[in-house]
Amino acid sequence: MNETHHHPSKTGTQERVVVKDVSYSTDPADFAYMSLNVPCQSACPAYTNIPAYIRALYEGEYGTSYELNRMVNVLPGVLGRICSRPCEEVCRHGEPELGKPVNICHIKRAASDFKTAGHIYLEKFFAPQGKRVCIVGAGPAGLAAAHDLTTIGIEVTLLEAFDEPGGMLRYGIPEFRLPREILNAEIGSIVRLGVTMETGVRVGSDVSVEDLLNRYDAVLMAAGCYVAKELEIPGDTLSGVIPGLDFVMDVTTGGTPEIGKNVLVIGAGFTAFDCARMALRLGADDVAICIRATEEELRVTQDEILEAKREGVQIKGLMASRRVVGRDNVEGVEFLRTRLGDRLPNGKRKIVPIEGSQFILPADSVLTAIGQGAEPIVSPGEKDRRGVLKGDPMTFLTSVPNLYVTGDFMTGPSTVIESIAGGRRAAERIAEDLTGKKFREWAVRIEEAQVTDRQREWDYIPRSEMPTVLPVQDRFKTGNIEVEKGFSPERSHIESQRCYLCYLHYEIDISRCIYCRYCIDVAPRDCIKLVNEVVTDENGAVTGFVETTSWEDVNAVVIDNSRCIRCGECLRVCPTDCISVSKVELVERMLQTGRD
Amino acid sequence: MAQEHCVIIGNGPAANAAAFTLRENDSDVRITVIGEECDHQYRPDLLPDYIAGTVAEEDLFIGRSEPYKQCDIKLRLGQRVVNVDFQSRELVLEHNEMIRFTGLIIACGAKPRIPEPLEVFEDLMLTLKTPADARDWIDRLAHVDDVLIVGGDLTSLSLTRALLHLGKRVTFLINGGSFWPVPFSSELRDEVARRLIERGIEVTECSKIRRMVKVSDHAVEVRTDCRTMTVGILGAFFGLVPNVKFLARSGLDIERGVLVDEYLKTSVDNVYAAGDCAQVYHPGIHDYWVSIGYANAVELGKTAALNLLGDMVPVNVERESILKIDGINVNTSWWTEF
Repeated sequence: MNETHHHPSKTGTQERVVVKDVSYSTDPADFAYMSLNVPCQSACPAYTNIPAYIRALYEGEYGTSYELNRMVNVLPGVLGRICSRPCEEVCRHGEPELGKPVNICHIKRAASDFKTAGHIYLEKFFAPQGKRVCIVGAGPAGLAAAHDLTTIGIEVTLLEAFDEPGGMLRYGIPEFRLPREILNAEIGSIVRLGVTMETGVRVGSDVSVEDLLNRYDAVLMAAGCYVAKELEIPGDTLSGVIPGLDFVMDVTTGGTPEIGKNVLVIGAGFTAFDCARMALRLGADDVAICIRATEEELRVTQDEILEAKREGVQIKGLMASRRVVGRDNVEGVEFLRTRLGDRLPNGKRKIVPIEGSQFILPADSVLTAIGQGAEPIVSPGEKDRRGVLKGDPMTFLTSVPNLYVTGDFMTGPSTVIESIAGGRRAAERIAEDLTGKKFREWAVRIEEAQVTDRQREWDYIPRSEMPTVLPVQDRFKTGNIEVEKGFSPERSHIESQRCYLCYLHYEIDISRCIYCRYCIDVAPRDCIKLVNEVVTDENGAVTGFVETTSWEDVNAVVIDNSRCIRCGECLRVCPTDCISVSKVELVERMLQTGRD
Repeated sequence: MAQEHCVIIGNGPAANAAAFTLRENDSDVRITVIGEECDHQYRPDLLPDYIAGTVAEEDLFIGRSEPYKQCDIKLRLGQRVVNVDFQSRELVLEHNEMIRFTGLIIACGAKPRIPEPLEVFEDLMLTLKTPADARDWIDRLAHVDDVLIVGGDLTSLSLTRALLHLGKRVTFLINGGSFWPVPFSSELRDEVARRLIERGIEVTECSKIRRMVKVSDHAVEVRTDCRTMTVGILGAFFGLVPNVKFLARSGLDIERGVLVDEYLKTSVDNVYAAGDCAQVYHPGIHDYWVSIGYANAVELGKTAALNLLGDMVPVNVERESILKIDGINVNTSWWTEF
């Protein structure tokens, strides 16, 4: 319960001050609780507080909802359009008998779309630290690092090789998925904090890394991955075989590359889909994406697959390219049929070609989008076999003092949200190394709460899908019409109602429980359990329950929050009020004045 | 030990062949057949005749309740499986009921395919796969004189005959590169067009349907890349696609259909697939295929049941049958065009 105190004010009148019972924990058991019970926030590489921002949007607080994103993922308007959505994959609403995941990403976009133009965002700054850092690369990792270092009080210079900042967001994602005014606005909100931005500077040729190390206290390489992998099969140098990344970058910089009528795209990631959809916009008639595994194994979002198919892109599965066919120009590609093998440690399936299953698909253009790597920028320090600077994934430090790496440049191609998270972590590490102080800390914030106004019928609201420009011909009038139209305020509100608000924690006070089992009777699924024993790990984190059906063996009635859908029915029927609710969230605390 | 419970998803020829084969070979196993439609097993090939009024509704149906009772097979109709958890071996019905299984045969069949670019117009088009679809056609035909058939497959040919029998004006818009279930060669295209025209059907070709607009309850305007027309009913016939969307993200290997080996075994132990939802590699055509036709479905259903009980009966991928539809020979027992 919230306590209310009445304090005399300076004018002699009474002020009403609500003092909430809030605590912060860094106990590993509480982090483990979050990981198991609030799956969406835990799955987000940036730990975005998803239940909180969805709740804020439900309450009509678009600005607050936006800020809850902005404070950790830095680019909410961008991510609300192109995030890979690891949160939705684990959303409790998507569990087998519970329907489909909440459309978390598009609620994020709604927060960005509907915050008022006059919304004031208060950025929290630490005092100047008297240090200077140069960041190489103004993509998502570099921008996120620049944001965090600047707010910590470190002077940041951001060097970008291209003409404009944004990296892959600008040069690797087509405008029909990410309008440039959104990107420009959110980059602007970082740069205006005091970042010195220099574009058109290619580190390694225009300026050396050694120079930068001499001029700055630290250098962070966040130069991304811009070198397209080659197909490395016979015929891959024939005219008409184009690296997909080059093709996308050509279009995003205003070019109109020549493309055939019958296009095969070889690859399975977002770049492959962008290539295919761009090819249609450039006049191709038949476009097929050829993948080695199946649609099920694709890492792109379901929306991306649906929209590509709507536009006429075919997805052809279970085929591996063997050679490109043609005399001077490409005439087709020979493939082998494949089978799905075992799942590999990286989560992907082993692909087993079927001997003797070769066949040829005709094509007059072939776009290859099978991956990309970092450019081996000239610099001191230990390199990998391709000549790319190596860094420690935990400390981001290279073998050279004060030289750090992060983002795709360090890890290879990843998602935007992973890059942002990597950029932020690298920034925190650099600040700590340069000043000897810790500035931010992740903690579990625990606050007493009330049961919400969520209604059981909201659990049956079908997932709202993103409205898009239809019929598809209307998308092709120009090449840059944004395909996704965004939720209306009403639609985003309805979708926000679907969220179970898993950050609410329900708990039975066993000392007051009379074992009436009313709560079990009203529970919508097996979320309340009669247990003999609560299983914990070495940190004290609950990892399971030993349930029993024998009444004499019951030692407790517990709520399994990993199964609970926060309907509140148990609390409403409890005759002894022994069920309580608290709000638990992963939050990033600013450590005042920096802790030594 | 708990009784073995074999669940069969589907109520078509493969599913029912599987259910009765299981019972014939195992008198103890508990068997449940779950059908999405409310109707008993029926003959889809008679649906055009039912629309024409030359076949009575009761003659459509093959299965009735009695044989299931006699064989102690639990038949649950009108219940849609929306999810399968293969780890806990539970499936979830649309009304959130969970059913545990020890063995599973997926024989959920196929559904009419609507190409993704046209899905946005789905509500303006009629398909024909089930008795419920046929009833829709009958209701709508009472109010219109003009019918446009888009695409082209075997069912559409039978339907045009039924529509002519009812005195309707029919336009056939040949669209796309295939005449399901086979690629649309120029010879086949000419042959189909010639026969349709001979019957008094207007045949037109287009490469793209641009837009469909509902003009009134009984009129749809269709704009293609070559002409605009207004019709009473628009029938979409682009073939079939395995009805396996509910298995997406379940962990089962699916591509277009459920991927199975030559024993119809899926990527999960004790889970088999049969009929026109199962997809298997065919070395003869260097491609994956999905079977077509009643006889194939029955055979595959039996094979899946026997293998679930422990046999190792390979599916006969080499078999090739000739379908003769409206006088046109179609040399196939599978389809690869999706």
